[in-house]
Amino acid sequence: MLAELTKYRQVFLVGLQSNLVYRWNFAVRGAFSLFHLAVVFILWSAVFASAPRIGGFGFGQTLTYFVTLLVLQFFVGAFNEDYQISEEIRNGLINQFLLKPINYYVYRFTIFGAARLVSGALVLLPLAAALPLLHPWLTFPGEPWRVALAIPAMAMAALIQFTIAYCFGMLTFWFLDIQGFVILSMAVESVLGGQLFPLDLMPPAIFHAAQYLPFYYQMYFPAAILTGRIGQPLAFQLIGLQACWVVVLLGIAQLLWRRGLRRHTAVGG
Amino acid sequence: MDYFRVWLASARYSLVRTMMFRGDFLIWSLVELFWMGVNLLLIAVIYQHTSSVAGWTEYEMLLLVGTGMLVQRLLMGFFWSSLFEMGRNIRTGAFDFFLSQPGHPLFMASTRKLDPDGLANSFVAAGIVVYSVHKLGLHPGIAEVALYAGMIVAGLAIHYSIMVISMSLTFWLASAQGIEGTYFTVVDFGRLPREAFRGVASVLFVWLLPVVVVSNAPARTILHGFQPAWVAWLLATAVAWLALAVAVFNRGLRRYASASS
Repeated sequence: MLAELTKYRQVFLVGLQSNLVYRWNFAVRGAFSLFHLAVVFILWSAVFASAPRIGGFGFGQTLTYFVTLLVLQFFVGAFNEDYQISEEIRNGLINQFLLKPINYYVYRFTIFGAARLVSGALVLLPLAAALPLLHPWLTFPGEPWRVALAIPAMAMAALIQFTIAYCFGMLTFWFLDIQGFVILSMAVESVLGGQLFPLDLMPPAIFHAAQYLPFYYQMYFPAAILTGRIGQPLAFQLIGLQACWVVVLLGIAQLLWRRGLRRHTAVGG
Repeated sequence: MDYFRVWLASARYSLVRTMMFRGDFLIWSLVELFWMGVNLLLIAVIYQHTSSVAGWTEYEMLLLVGTGMLVQRLLMGFFWSSLFEMGRNIRTGAFDFFLSQPGHPLFMASTRKLDPDGLANSFVAAGIVVYSVHKLGLHPGIAEVALYAGMIVAGLAIHYSIMVISMSLTFWLASAQGIEGTYFTVVDFGRLPREAFRGVASVLFVWLLPVVVVSNAPARTILHGFQPAWVAWLLATAVAWLALAVAVFNRGLRRYASASS
């Protein structure tokens, strides 16, 4: 067990180093996300100018939701892991893992963890710079249970995000180009994951149905816990459903890996 | 005339290529269609909770967003692939290919590929505009429609310029992967009404970055008829940004080190 941990600890350290090489890319991306926040700020302040409360929430609470979402995106969101996995399959780089005592999923997830640590830390810099502007509107509920529950919810959100990206990467065993599928799924995730607008603003029937999909747990769920958009009984109930989705997605990922390997041809000496 | 013949040949090549990869065409058309749907959904959800945003009603906003989409889809259809590849070619040195062609490198590099999926979706965007005009009960005359079309072309010139400037940064930056994202970041502001911008945001995003005028000016022409100030603003911005884009590109070209040893 300890040997296993040491193995992936090394992977994590290598991942950390290779992602620090791209620190400027992440920093620029983080700075650009402030522009997105500016669009959100301008749009929603115009919306709230004509309706002071929407879906039971004020402008401050809605802005807090989007700021939380931004931070979550850089700490637990999948960036281009699907492309990286796809490239490794297409170029035959996965062949080396077939001969080593390394679990490819755990290996990729460890690198994903290292990458998110770097990107998450780097988004805090532009956010800290924008904090004096944002501060008057930010409003977090002070209940301790929210933080306690948000931690496992965020960890599972990271697992869901990564595993979905991993599954898309696995499609490379069957398709030459997965880019179209990935961008198509990004559109679905941005709506059903609550990135475009807080999901609770949707008609109740659709909002209720969305709770049974994995996308709900990618971003919206942890953000809703932290920003007070969900109550305690429902949050405790739904975290169980989130855990179920983690198990289901891990199963799908494993299935795709096994089936995909049967189609894989490793060439070269 | 020669340039037009070169463009026609490139367009023919792109269409033949699309016919060879019909599955790709279908998937990418769906991708763009989905993203357009996502934007429309945002409007639908917002207007479920309010009747006006910055003084714009739901169908006025739909007209505005549809206009922005139309310009963006036209850019995707006519220039996106070529300009995206231009950045990659500058990095790898494959840009030499365009320098050896008998025409201005910017023209040759930015018109090489057409994306029929983007063009197909520009009809969908135009459909959204027509639908909103119908729902608003407007009956624009031929002159207003012609002016709207002209303003869309001017808007396309502005979007093209933003993209050229973004991709030209590759001449200076060693690692410029994902630089095309700058375009999406900047044009994101174009789906908002002018009235929503106040104070510093107004100076920064309305006057300095020219994307708000691209969607707002044509939409206003349909809504309120010919407004000289908006038309002049749009045209002047298009000319200025196009000149700036060509200047930045030419300046960058001087730094291009080529791939040959």
